[in-house]
Amino acid sequence: MKIKFYLNKKEIEIEVDPTIRLIDLLREKLNLTGTKEGCSIGECGACTVIVDGKAINSCLMLAYQVDGCNVITIEGISEDGKLHPLQENFLKTGAIQCGFCTPGMIMSAYALLLENPNPTEEEIKDAIAGNLCRCTGYKQIIDAIEVSAKELKG
Amino acid sequence: MINLNCKIETPKNIDELLKLLAVENFNSKILAGGTDLIVGKIQGSKRFVDTELLIDINKIEELHKIDLIDDKIIIGASTTFSEIENNKIINEHLPLLKKAVSKIGSLQIRNRATIAGNFVNNAPCADSVPPLLVYNAELELISFGNKRTISLENFLEAPYKTQLQKSELVSKIIIPVPDKNIIGDFYKLGRRRAVAISRITLAVLCRIENNSFDDIRIASGAVTPIGKRFYEIENFTREKRINNDLLINLSQMLGEEILKITGLRWSSAYKLPVVQQMFYQLLNNIVIKK
Repeated sequence: MKIKFYLNKKEIEIEVDPTIRLIDLLREKLNLTGTKEGCSIGECGACTVIVDGKAINSCLMLAYQVDGCNVITIEGISEDGKLHPLQENFLKTGAIQCGFCTPGMIMSAYALLLENPNPTEEEIKDAIAGNLCRCTGYKQIIDAIEVSAKELKG
Repeated sequence: MINLNCKIETPKNIDELLKLLAVENFNSKILAGGTDLIVGKIQGSKRFVDTELLIDINKIEELHKIDLIDDKIIIGASTTFSEIENNKIINEHLPLLKKAVSKIGSLQIRNRATIAGNFVNNAPCADSVPPLLVYNAELELISFGNKRTISLENFLEAPYKTQLQKSELVSKIIIPVPDKNIIGDFYKLGRRRAVAISRITLAVLCRIENNSFDDIRIASGAVTPIGKRFYEIENFTREKRINNDLLINLSQMLGEEILKITGLRWSSAYKLPVVQQMFYQLLNNIVIKK
């Protein structure tokens, strides 16, 4: 099946097997290994990417279903070699330890800030409730998102 | 790389879809949000092991919208939980449904999972069911050359069993707009606040006139084998004067009724007091707000 979609702001056209998942297309066909696969059942959020402005689990979506969509992965949020404020602030606030949850966590935060540039702590918690982190205890992650929201508002 | 190992069709309209469903010698399943089906297929769940064909309904716009037509709210089968949660018509008229769907899974799940997908396999823990039951929801089922309407309550036959025929699709959920004076609440208990399978869900709607329950509708999920209305308690309650003793009495009755349905289980000692206390609190909050 031939599909055409925007991936990190670039239009691509690719032949896909309709029975593979979006995460497999990203990691194995397109070599975008920033998106991680954790639980494979939609519980850990490590595979979170953004499709048409919404955070989704790429382990629960089939690859062909992004036909005509706008997809953003962790590789698509930095510009000209400069990290996105969310990435910078995850580093600065110690919101990273092993780093496995980080791409998914940042994509959930990115989707939140697209819709809501001024989130409350509760809204941040709700946005990342589907992203598990076994290292940080979440506090630093929430701090990183709060600081980023303030910076992005300018 | 994981492969679903089956054929996939993506019909563009209802007609194409119903023709595909009508093919008898194919074991097909509808694919909408996929949050249950894709996991089940990959894990080799019994429910999907024989599925040879997935019919993806995501391209059919007719199944994916919320309308208010005359005195009915019509929710398309493949409307996602996020769309329901953020919809003005739902917010205004069906606050219990909004509350229930906003507690399902995670945001990533709610952005994909669909309303019909929640109840079509009749799992006892489907969170949309108790609110839909108290709102007297009906379903439109379509198949090639046929259309029928059935109440959700009759549709849900037994755990993991419904009235849906192989060639049929749930196309719409039809809910009568509730009277302006109807108020209510929804409660969910899971092991954590998000991404949790419900252990107990309760939905209550009522209309209070002259300090008595003019109308009351009560439904449970997860704690009963399937989502269920409690007509005996509803009938007992109607026109009774509201006081603390009545609320305590109703909470005890609900606990006894649930015990009668499920029998004594290892978890009863934990769940029953919670059901009774939460039901009391739901009623009490509604009465105080009024």
